[in-house]
Amino acid sequence: MTAWLLPLAAGIGAGILSAWGVGGGTLLLLVMTLFLDVAPSDARWINLLYFLPTAGAGLLFHRKSGLLNRQALRGAVPWGLAAAALGAWLAASLDMEVLRKPFGVYLLAAGLMTMAKK
Amino acid sequence: MKQQFKFGVAGAAAGFVNGAFGGGGGMVLAPMLTLWCGMEQKQALATCVAIILPLCALSAALQMLWGSFDWLSAAPYLIGGGIGGALGGLMFRKVNVLWLRRLFAAFLLYGGVRYLL
Repeated sequence: MTAWLLPLAAGIGAGILSAWGVGGGTLLLLVMTLFLDVAPSDARWINLLYFLPTAGAGLLFHRKSGLLNRQALRGAVPWGLAAAALGAWLAASLDMEVLRKPFGVYLLAAGLMTMAKK
Repeated sequence: MKQQFKFGVAGAAAGFVNGAFGGGGGMVLAPMLTLWCGMEQKQALATCVAIILPLCALSAALQMLWGSFDWLSAAPYLIGGGIGGALGGLMFRKVNVLWLRRLFAAFLLYGGVRYLL
């Protein structure tokens, strides 16, 4: 039971943050790898998959609020898809250990930027 | 610079981070949309989610093709995510995210140190 409860709680908490765009995905990745002992490759996949219902649910409300910028969507999505394929390919072909340090640097940078934001 | 070009660069940066690390693309995208593309905060955050969604779908599909996965261990996270996403969407306009963001930033820094050591 507890094996399910912690992941469920982590999912709900990160889901709320994701809908607010605060970075729920990164939060969940960290909780999984640092506290719940999920293997990094599994954590990557769970996190990606996890974002789909979360973002989908959040988006329904955002669309109703008229908050989506269509011009930005048209500009960003095609290039984003190409880059996402490249990144996923890199992660699949590289040893996870190689990505540890860059991810650490990314976290520090993201943390500092988030801290500095007003 | 042309706005469409900026959106393209922002999307590519987010896609790469998202694909490589399995998440975190939004952390790159949101500040780019507000600081570089000049979008208003709440609109940027909402648009960010809409941009990341197809990127995550593609990265997840590729991981399924190229890597390993376990549906059962993923299930509680997915269910929780759906519940949390709906809750967050309902409360979106009512929250002050400043204190939340600070707490989150501290956690990111902690994670960064753990990964680097």
